[in-house]
Amino acid sequence: MSTISASLLATDLGSPHGATADDHWVHHLWNVTYIIGTPLAAIVLGLIIWCLVRYRARPGDTRRPPQFQYHIPLEVTYTLVPLALVAIVFAFMYVPENKITDLPKSPALTVTAEGFQWGYRFVYPNGHQETGSYSSVTNIDDETDLPTLYLPEGKTVEIKIVSDDVVHGFYIPGFLYQRDMIPGVNNVMKINVTRTGRFIGECDNLCGVYHAYMRFAVDVMPQAQYTAWYASQQPGSIHNWTPNATPSNEQAAGK
Amino acid sequence: MTIIEDRPGSGPSTDATGTEVHQERLMAMVPGPRPRSWVKFITSTDHKQIGLNYMVTAFIGFLVAGLMAEAMRTQLIVPNNHFVTLEVYNQLVTMHGTIMLFVVLGPFAFGLANYIVPLQIGAPDMAFPRFNNLSYWLYLSGFLIMLGGFLTNNGAADFGWFGYAPLTDMVHSPGPGADMWILGIALTGFSGIFTAINLITTVFCLRAPGMVMFRMPIFTWNMLVTLFLVLLAFPVLTSAFALLWSDRHLTTHFFEANGGGQPLLWQNMFWFFGHPEVYIIALPYFGVVTEVIATMSKKPVFGYKGMIGATLGIGALSMGVWAHHMYTTGAVMLPFFAAMSLLIAVPTGIKFFNWIGTMFKGVITLNTAMLFSVGFLGIFLFGGITGVVLAQPPLDFQLHMTYFVVAHFHYVVMALIFGVFSAIYYWFPKFTGRMLDERLGKLSFALLFIGVNLTFFPQHDLGLRGMSRRIATYDGNLGYNFENLLSSLGAYITGLGVIPTIINVWKSLRTGAIAGDNPWDGQTLEWATSSPPPDHNFESLPPIRSERPLWDATHPDELTRAGH
Repeated sequence: MSTISASLLATDLGSPHGATADDHWVHHLWNVTYIIGTPLAAIVLGLIIWCLVRYRARPGDTRRPPQFQYHIPLEVTYTLVPLALVAIVFAFMYVPENKITDLPKSPALTVTAEGFQWGYRFVYPNGHQETGSYSSVTNIDDETDLPTLYLPEGKTVEIKIVSDDVVHGFYIPGFLYQRDMIPGVNNVMKINVTRTGRFIGECDNLCGVYHAYMRFAVDVMPQAQYTAWYASQQPGSIHNWTPNATPSNEQAAGK
Repeated sequence: MTIIEDRPGSGPSTDATGTEVHQERLMAMVPGPRPRSWVKFITSTDHKQIGLNYMVTAFIGFLVAGLMAEAMRTQLIVPNNHFVTLEVYNQLVTMHGTIMLFVVLGPFAFGLANYIVPLQIGAPDMAFPRFNNLSYWLYLSGFLIMLGGFLTNNGAADFGWFGYAPLTDMVHSPGPGADMWILGIALTGFSGIFTAINLITTVFCLRAPGMVMFRMPIFTWNMLVTLFLVLLAFPVLTSAFALLWSDRHLTTHFFEANGGGQPLLWQNMFWFFGHPEVYIIALPYFGVVTEVIATMSKKPVFGYKGMIGATLGIGALSMGVWAHHMYTTGAVMLPFFAAMSLLIAVPTGIKFFNWIGTMFKGVITLNTAMLFSVGFLGIFLFGGITGVVLAQPPLDFQLHMTYFVVAHFHYVVMALIFGVFSAIYYWFPKFTGRMLDERLGKLSFALLFIGVNLTFFPQHDLGLRGMSRRIATYDGNLGYNFENLLSSLGAYITGLGVIPTIINVWKSLRTGAIAGDNPWDGQTLEWATSSPPPDHNFESLPPIRSERPLWDATHPDELTRAGH
């Protein structure tokens, strides 16, 4: 049974078990939505089906039903109750929304994430770059050669999000969060990953031919390991993840 | 009004043989030979002929864009598939969306309104019949031009139906396919604007004596609100397309960041049109199911005035929710658009209770038209609830641009497609004078209902797993495989489900049972004339003393009570 549910349902009916400091807010909103939405849908659907069964015409039925048309108290009720329900949803949503989008005053680290056709470039404060893009040998079933963003565990990190050419997406399903990469808009987001490990990220805005291949990875390490990794990177150095790499801009132009 | 009295005749007859005699007499009054059907197709300014032109063209568009969907689902049936190339996949994504939105759902409703609205308000034709003919030809040209993109060197447009700048500029999309896409949509946009002007004028100026606004059937009311939304939204779209064309060909920089322009401006302009567009395509089918449910339950619409209020509320709110497509841009005011997007669920919810109230204590004939309407309710309900999920920015940050969104809006639009089928089964007897076959209709319904749910339900979970939309192929290691397989099988079942209806229409045109004027015991005026209606529609009209003039005429012992 658990294998069936594992192959059919991703994460606990949508209430996600994420990996960030903010994801309990998302979890909380899913719960609110389920608690209000499920009974509401069941009642409405139940009423529809009940009416169809209870009041169906039998063969040869010539009855004429009562021709009532208005019932003001009922109409007021079914206007006010949904109004109250969406007000409740909004009230539950308002605080989490601010918590999730708030930016830290003093982030532990600021990284710039640049999207381009069709890859990512992550620039660290010392100028070190991790970059990678689609190339002719990219295999979609292979997650090992994706450009990787290294982050320390349990620290609030600020990520500046920009695009070099067209609109891209910066989306990590495991973090339950995304921002668009839009030329002309300097987006900033914060993230605090509370679990070490490797997460796959992807572009989710159609951005041209190789959109499906535009992916990246996030590698979250304990702080000490991250510090050691960062110290070993030469300022201004570029680490290119793409096999048989050609500079990404040429590749885009020569499509 | 002279229209009621200026033709001789004894009024509509419900007797089938009587109807034929009746029609022959009318035809004999028109001098000269009857035109052949293709001449009528090109030259007719009769609102009924133009309405049928629209509906048939839109249905062909539905089949074309549906085949594109089947090709996409075949590409995605297994990971790392090579059924179509990446370029072709992007073209299919774009043209499937564009055709379904601009050629199928909106124009089918415009065609239906062309046919039904003048009948429902007791008018002889539209206010501007030649203008009406022009609208149709602009629409057909737009459809053919955008489809013609496939015949060009670089293929059709390939940047998604909302074409986010700057992917649409000359550098990233150099081919003529993009220009044909711009031109095609602009033409269908003009067609929509002209239809709106025409129908709004018709509703305001050509109502029969006694047909005050609060006696108009719900379908007509919904079309009126829809067409006001068209007038508000489509000109913005046309302007955006003019600016885009200018960026492409006159080297302006409205949407180019490196020339001082703003790619985000495109998103704002497009969605300022794009969200009202959702209600432009939805409200007409809300109207259709309201008519079908009331007729098949043999009851008046429950809370008629409240329902009109809800429609007006949806129309007003729909102009203020566009930025919920842009939560993740980081450039919109989240609480305002979240509040508006949640609020629009309220009038939609009211409609559900109106529909339930209409069925309550009725005598419900569960024929194919009613089945499709009830199918509409179930599927739309689910699409509406996932809409409330996506209206919350924190959840949208998780789900934006994933398959969850694809599943959400396909539940909405497939519900509308059920509205299309319901309209076909409900009004076909009026269009042709013949009934559709119930067994083929129910088969069609069963296949479509199973197919749609099997296609789109698993996509919610794919979105929760993080599968982004519009990817031409996917990684086989991320748990997407099984649900994509289910979804593709569902798409094939959905495709099969359309076939019985096509056979049904083909067969019933020739051998269907004769319908007579009023096969459903209808309540509104389109059932008060012959099937199909004669030129200028009515021999005589029953007195209009409520929103159900025909019910009052056929059930004089129980007149519809006005007010509460």
